[in-house]
Amino acid sequence: MSLKAPERSVDPVDSGGASGTPKAKKGRDSGGSMVAQRRKLMIPFVGPALLFYLVLFIIPTGAAVWISFNKWAGSGPMTWVGFSNYTALFKDDLFKQALWNTLLLLVVVGVVMFVLAFAMTLVLRDMAGRKIARSIIFFPHLINALVYGVLAGFLFNPGGLVNTLLKPLGVTDPPQWLAQDNLFPLIMLTLTFMTTGYYTTILMAGVDRIPPYYYEDCAMAGANAWQRLRYVILPLTWDVFGVCAVLWTISSVKIFEIVWVFGGSSGSGIPPTQTWTAAVYTYATAFSGESLPAYGAATASAIISLALVTVLVVLIRRVMRRDVIEF
Amino acid sequence: MSLSVRVPTRLKRRRTPLSGGSVWRTIGIVLLWLFVAFNVAGLIWVIFQAFRDTRSILSSPFGLPESWSFENFTTAWQVSDFATATFNSVSVALISSVLTVALAAPAAYYLSRHESRLNRNLTLFFILGLGVPVQVILIPLFVMLNEVNLTNSLIGLNLVYIGVSMPFTVFLLTGFFRSLPIELEEAAALDGASPAGTFVRIMLPVAKGGILTAFVLQLISHWNETLLALTLLQSTDKYTLPVALISFVQQQTYSGADWGGLFAGLCIVILPLLAVYLWLGRKLSEGLTLGMGK
Repeated sequence: MSLKAPERSVDPVDSGGASGTPKAKKGRDSGGSMVAQRRKLMIPFVGPALLFYLVLFIIPTGAAVWISFNKWAGSGPMTWVGFSNYTALFKDDLFKQALWNTLLLLVVVGVVMFVLAFAMTLVLRDMAGRKIARSIIFFPHLINALVYGVLAGFLFNPGGLVNTLLKPLGVTDPPQWLAQDNLFPLIMLTLTFMTTGYYTTILMAGVDRIPPYYYEDCAMAGANAWQRLRYVILPLTWDVFGVCAVLWTISSVKIFEIVWVFGGSSGSGIPPTQTWTAAVYTYATAFSGESLPAYGAATASAIISLALVTVLVVLIRRVMRRDVIEF
Repeated sequence: MSLSVRVPTRLKRRRTPLSGGSVWRTIGIVLLWLFVAFNVAGLIWVIFQAFRDTRSILSSPFGLPESWSFENFTTAWQVSDFATATFNSVSVALISSVLTVALAAPAAYYLSRHESRLNRNLTLFFILGLGVPVQVILIPLFVMLNEVNLTNSLIGLNLVYIGVSMPFTVFLLTGFFRSLPIELEEAAALDGASPAGTFVRIMLPVAKGGILTAFVLQLISHWNETLLALTLLQSTDKYTLPVALISFVQQQTYSGADWGGLFAGLCIVILPLLAVYLWLGRKLSEGLTLGMGK
C-alpha cells in the first residue's frame, strides 16, 4: 500500500513532461477513446516483435517451401522442378533411413520415456524428499545434448569406462559399442536418460494439481492403487499428457547435436549415415561441403519434417481430446 | 497456527498411498533415488575429471584428482581457444536474450490484455512458430544473411536468435500476463496513467518474476544453441562454445583424445548453467512446466 502512494503522485508529473499528458486526459474523458488509444499502442507494442518474427521466422519458412520446389546450389540460377525433389527424396535410401531414425526417436524413445516418467511421477508424488529429487532430475534438461554425446563417447570407448567396469565381471570380449550399427541404439538410450527427468517434472506439475481429498475419497471407498490410478490420476492429468506428447513430437524432430557429436567423434566429422536423423540429413545435404550443395533437396527434407510435426500434432490433439475436467 | 493445521493433512496425504503401497513402491523409491544419485555423481565425476590429465583419466576413471591444478582449463582456455568462444557465447546469449525479452514483453502484454479477434489470431500466429523445426529455416536464413553479409557474424547470430525465440517467449509471457489481476490496470487508468505508462510503471514491476524467468530461459537456450551457430559461423574467432566444442572433438580424431581438455571444456559449458540453476532453480522449472500444464 505504501508503495502505491508515491507512484500516484509521480505519475502526473512524469507524464506532464512527456507527450503523455493529452493522452492521459483523453483516457479520463471516456472509455471509448481509451479503447481507440489503446489500439494505437498496438504498433509500438506488438510491431517490433512481429517484425522480427516475420523477417527471421515466417519469411524463411515461406522461402523454404519455395526453395524445396527448385533445384538450387545456393548461388546461381534456380530451376523450378516441381515435386521432383520430394519424389527423389523418397527414393533416396539415406533419407529414408534418416526419416526412419527420426520416427524411432519419436516413438520408441517417446514411449519408453513416458512410461518411465509416469512411473517416476507416481513414486515421486508422495515420497519424502520429493522436492530435492525433482530439482535434481530436472537439471539434465538444461545441459546441451553435446555434453552427453561427448560423455557417451568416453564411456563406450574401447578402452572406456564401460569396458573397464565389465572386465572384472568376466566380460573379456565386450561388444563394439561404437561400431556404426550400435551407435543409434546408444543414442536412443542416451536421449531417454536425458529427457525423462524433464517430462517427469511436467507430469508432476499436473499430478500436483489434484486436490488431496480425491485420494482421501479413494481410501474411504477402498480403492486399490490401480483403481486410484485409473479413475483419479489418469483422467485428471490427461491434458498434461497431451501437452507432453505434443512437446516431445516437436522437439524430437529437430534432434541434431547429439547425433552430430556422437558420430562425429568417431570419424571424418560427419556421423555415419546409420545414425542420421531428419535434421542431420538437412544440414549434411546442404552444408557438408563434400558434394555440390543441394539446397532444394535439403529444404524439401526439412519441409517433410515440418509436415510430419503438423500431422502428428493434429492427430495427437484429436486422439487426446477429452472433455476437460474442472477441479 | 497455520502450521498446526497443515501438519495433519500432510501426514494423511503421505500415509494414504502407503497403506495401499507394496514392495513395488519400495523398489520404485530405491530406483528413483539411484537415478537421482547417478545424476549427481555424474556431474561431480565430470568436474573431477577436468582436473586430471588424460593418462590418469584413462587408467583409473574413478580416481580423484591428485591436485586441483587448472592445467586442463588453461590449455582449453588458451590453446583450444575456448576463451574466445566463451566470450562470444556470453555476449551473444546476453544480448539476444535481453533484446528478445524487451521485444516480446510489450507484445505479450498487449496481446494478452486486449481481447479482440485480431489479437487472438496474432497470439496464435506467434505460437504456431513453436511447431516449426529449426532445420526448416536453416537454409533460407543462411542465404538471407549471406545477402546482407551477416553470416559469420555475431550480429547476424543475435538477430537470428531473437527471431527464433519469439514464439516461445511470447507464448510464455502472454500466459504470464494473463495471470496478473486486471484490477491493477483499471486502478492505474482511473488515476490517469496512460496505457504505455501503465505498462512501464505498473505492469513491469509486477511482472518482474515472469520476465526474469523468460529471460533466463532464453539465456540458457541461446547458450546451448548449436545447429544455427554451426551453420552461420565459419571462422574460429566467431565460434560460440558449442561450435568450439564440436571442432575440438573433431580435432581429437586426428591428434589423439585429450580427455582432460575435453572434460574442462564440458565444465565450461555446464558450470554456468549450474550456477544459474542453483540461483533460480524453482522458477526455471516452473516456467518450463507450469506454462505447459495450462
